[in-house]
Amino acid sequence: MRASFVFSEVATGLRRNVTMTIAMILTTAISLTMLGGGLLIMQTVDLTKDRYLDDIEVSIFLTDDVSANDENCTEQPCADLRRSLEENPEVETVVFQSREEAYESFQRIFEQQPELVELARPEALPASLRVRLVDPERADVITNEYEGEAGIHQIQDQGVFLERLIDGLNSFRNITLVGSVALLAAALLLIANMVQISAFTRRTEVGIMRLVGATRWYTQLPFLLEAVVAGVTGALLAVASLVGVQLFVVDGVLAEIRDAGIIAIPSLLYTVLIVAPVLLLSAVVISAVTGYVTLRMYVRH
Amino acid sequence: MIRLEDVSKVYKTSTRPALSEVSVEVDKGEFVFVIGPSGSGKSTFLRLLLREETPTRGKIFISDVDVAKMPRRKVPRLRQTIGCVFQDFRLLSNKTVFENVAFALEVIGKPAHTIRKVVPEVLELVGLDGKSDRMPNELSGGEQQRVAIARAFVNRPLMLLADEPTGNLDPETSQDIMLLLERINRTGTTVLMATHDHSIVDSMRRRVVELEFGKVIRDDARGVYGVGH
Repeated sequence: MRASFVFSEVATGLRRNVTMTIAMILTTAISLTMLGGGLLIMQTVDLTKDRYLDDIEVSIFLTDDVSANDENCTEQPCADLRRSLEENPEVETVVFQSREEAYESFQRIFEQQPELVELARPEALPASLRVRLVDPERADVITNEYEGEAGIHQIQDQGVFLERLIDGLNSFRNITLVGSVALLAAALLLIANMVQISAFTRRTEVGIMRLVGATRWYTQLPFLLEAVVAGVTGALLAVASLVGVQLFVVDGVLAEIRDAGIIAIPSLLYTVLIVAPVLLLSAVVISAVTGYVTLRMYVRH
Repeated sequence: MIRLEDVSKVYKTSTRPALSEVSVEVDKGEFVFVIGPSGSGKSTFLRLLLREETPTRGKIFISDVDVAKMPRRKVPRLRQTIGCVFQDFRLLSNKTVFENVAFALEVIGKPAHTIRKVVPEVLELVGLDGKSDRMPNELSGGEQQRVAIARAFVNRPLMLLADEPTGNLDPETSQDIMLLLERINRTGTTVLMATHDHSIVDSMRRRVVELEFGKVIRDDARGVYGVGH
């Protein structure tokens, strides 16, 4: 196999159908960018879940009566409640937070907004039992078991907020993935079209090649490689735009959200080491398979 | 060299067979004209030898290999032993004379140093030395056909198939092309030429196989085109 011959054929072919090639590269690039975006969002979801799940608590807020009179959770019904929780196999730890401690923590959380701190009175804040679960996603077990018991004002599962955040991210991911699949279908058809046009414009060459006894590899490899080169170019553009988005949008516009730790955004390294190879491999496989099938179906050998 | 045994070819779209029970044997080094009017089966005959078609019935042997039964992956190897020339030259218009001839070697994977050595030799053989950098459209019809012959012969095939090679040329140029084919034949290459050019067949006095409606109606060792045509 003479590599130089095959590559010059590939270059000629790509140049000859330049509009088609560009259309195919762009479609591939956009679809793979969306696919990569989807993958990044999936990773975001995983990272964000990991980060929050460690810290997630179920807060059992106690009634006003208990909050005002039982500062150390030594009286009934608080003491019983705490013992029952500590003995529950689903529970990892239980920490009592008194009204005073709640007020201190409130002051800490809102120190940036002094007017809010000003307005708040310790009496407005309930004491609570902070329950950490063995499996943070099974908060409903606790809620169902203790809801309505004496001394309990309200049970709040922080996981519900996380779920809402994750649901949002997931629907965003689904949109990008569906979009990328639709565009991949378009890219696929463009590849098939490109290979057909390429084979048609070079039918004289291919005819001569077959007559003088060139093997299938020689006659078909240039077309396959054309498709693969265009596909890989598209994938490289997709990787470049994902890296660009990461550098300029995430590190710029979204930097505050990320630094505040609201969502955990995957690192650039993840894009380059995990997402980029996936995109490149998809491009190679899709373009090669489509090219091969097209040649089998439409080009007589 | 070539042996056809009761070969018939029926195309799916046609009721009448393109070839009907054709049996022909050609020895190594022979020069054979295949003549007959349009549609008599000349082209089908050549296409079967190239394994562009497979016969509906019968056997085709080339160097004792049954071509019809040959697996597809072996077809390229068969074609490397057969050179082809056509009425319409089939040159690549964007390549020079040299590149056109070199192309036939490149696509079968011959190394560059072989190509650099062999292509000028064959161009000299066909009388085109000094024209290797010309483009096909800068050449006369006769010269273009010489390029095509050079391309067909550059890999030293055992057999040369020529389908109406003089069909687009004036009588004088045709005569030159025939001299060239004769010279190639003298190197030991079997030449099969399909034509309906009376004067060429008559002047060469070579073996003539005549087809009509897909049947061999004449096979003369030293034939002429024939009376009544």
